[in-house]
Amino acid sequence: MEGKRIMVIDDENIVGKMIKVSFERDGYIVETFVHADPAMKRLSEEKFDLVITDLKMKDIDGMEVLKRIKKESPETKVIMITAYASMDTSIEAFREKADDFFPKPIKISDLKERVATLLGG
Amino acid sequence: MKLVHKITLGNTLGIICIILVAAFSYHEFDILLAKLRFVEIADNLNASFLKMRLAEKNYFLYKDKSALQEIREQLKKSYATIKKLRKDITKAIGEKNFQELQADLRAYEEAFELVENADVLHTSGGARGKAIREAGRRLRLFSEHIVKIERKSVNKIISASKRALLTFFGLTILVAITSSYLFFSRMFKNLRRIERTANAVSKGEFVKIKGPIPDNELGSAMNAINKMCEELMTRHEQLIQSKKLSSIGILTAGVAHELGNPLNNISMVAQTFMEVHESLSPEERLEYMNIILQETKRIKEIVQNLLDFSRPKKRDFKISDINHLIEHSLVLVQNMLHVSRIRPKLELQDNLPPVFIDEDKMQSVFVNLITNAIQAMSAGGVLTLRTKYDEKEDPDRIIVQISDTGKGIPAEFLSNIFDPFFSTKGTEGTGLGLSISYGIIKNHKGEIEVESEVGVGTTFTIKLPIYREKEGKDGRQENHGNR
Repeated sequence: MEGKRIMVIDDENIVGKMIKVSFERDGYIVETFVHADPAMKRLSEEKFDLVITDLKMKDIDGMEVLKRIKKESPETKVIMITAYASMDTSIEAFREKADDFFPKPIKISDLKERVATLLGG
Repeated sequence: MKLVHKITLGNTLGIICIILVAAFSYHEFDILLAKLRFVEIADNLNASFLKMRLAEKNYFLYKDKSALQEIREQLKKSYATIKKLRKDITKAIGEKNFQELQADLRAYEEAFELVENADVLHTSGGARGKAIREAGRRLRLFSEHIVKIERKSVNKIISASKRALLTFFGLTILVAITSSYLFFSRMFKNLRRIERTANAVSKGEFVKIKGPIPDNELGSAMNAINKMCEELMTRHEQLIQSKKLSSIGILTAGVAHELGNPLNNISMVAQTFMEVHESLSPEERLEYMNIILQETKRIKEIVQNLLDFSRPKKRDFKISDINHLIEHSLVLVQNMLHVSRIRPKLELQDNLPPVFIDEDKMQSVFVNLITNAIQAMSAGGVLTLRTKYDEKEDPDRIIVQISDTGKGIPAEFLSNIFDPFFSTKGTEGTGLGLSISYGIIKNHKGEIEVESEVGVGTTFTIKLPIYREKEGKDGRQENHGNR
């Protein structure tokens, strides 16, 4: 997994921080954002292999982020995370071609496993 | 007395009066008809008598024997009339006058027979001629006399009937007006009492009808309304509670999100710590633990806010700082603001005089108004919370304003928005929030007003009396007594 680029977007900064600490030990390159706008700007500058984004954020709907990524860079994998998951939102996320959906609290080992599968295959 | 009994009594009295007048009129007309009938008969008789006298004259003047025949015929005719119409005649002039008439006729007949049966022709100057002429004169005089009397009597009866009918008519109108006035003025007075209470109830003030309750149908209605008010008061309390619970329903999604985030943070910090703890410096380890502590504190605050909001509390009036309460209310809706992307703007005046309020209830008013404001706005809207106190303008009250930049309320709805079950949110609103808020503000002896412009926004203004040291105890009692 050396060199694979992962972006984390979550207005809870601890989420990004912890994913960064844990994932960088495994050789991933992780960038974290608490606002969607700079994240989207960064995405247009550089190609990321995977984006982990919160569904519900202060300044933008995570579903909107998902749509934009899938439109601008379809090969980028997207994992949605949310603290308040309902069946409807998860169905909508998959319909918008999210690659996976993780309800909070996130089990980091499961997330790592899923990321490895998505990026390895 | 029941209204239905009063109305029945009035109608019965009216019907009895009409029957009496009809009977009186019938009787009067009966007499009148008899008199008129007699006048008609008497005219016929008079004509016969006139003819007799004319024949009598012819007999004496021209010695015409056929004149005697004429008198006999007229006599016969008169007897026949008297006999045939005896009943009608006695009815009009009485038995005595009838007998006198008959006697006069007989006297004439006797005098006539003396003349008729004599062999010689009599002169008018003779004894028999004098007798017949005298009898004839008396007969005519008497019959003319009674006709005159009867005509007079007919006139008298007509004018008496006219007077009686006019008097009765006047009396009827007078009695009808007086009794209707007494009846309806009392009824309308009671109806107005019912109307006042109904108006108060529609504004959310459940006051009973005061004063004596009449013992009739209106009284039953008043008792029913009073019972309804009592029932509504109880329901109102229950509604406030249930409205709060439904507000919690709205907040639940937000709360789940609010709680989910710190829980996830703690979990992720713990997982990462376990994975990397060996390579962490003591400072870094402390930092991890600090994050956990902070997030735990965050959860505790959210739970505490929710408890404060939902726990049914007894009426608890206390001296309070309205700015603090507004800031506290804002915390409860923080997530809604985030999700809807509404920017809160606080314009709280420093050093506001304290108010004497039930903080729990007042907070539910603020949360309700803020929730409405958020729902009325689209992303990017501004929610302004303002407090003001101007000693010169209104020395007794502070002002709280909650303004949004939302879609506004059409003017035709503004007068209804505090009515129970009135909602502009369609199926999403219960129509109770503002009504309950109105009741709470009224209960604090305050006022709540609304100004709105479609497409510009809505401002709710609440005026609350400030707390004064010496009035504190009175205020406490009054407020407790209300609801």
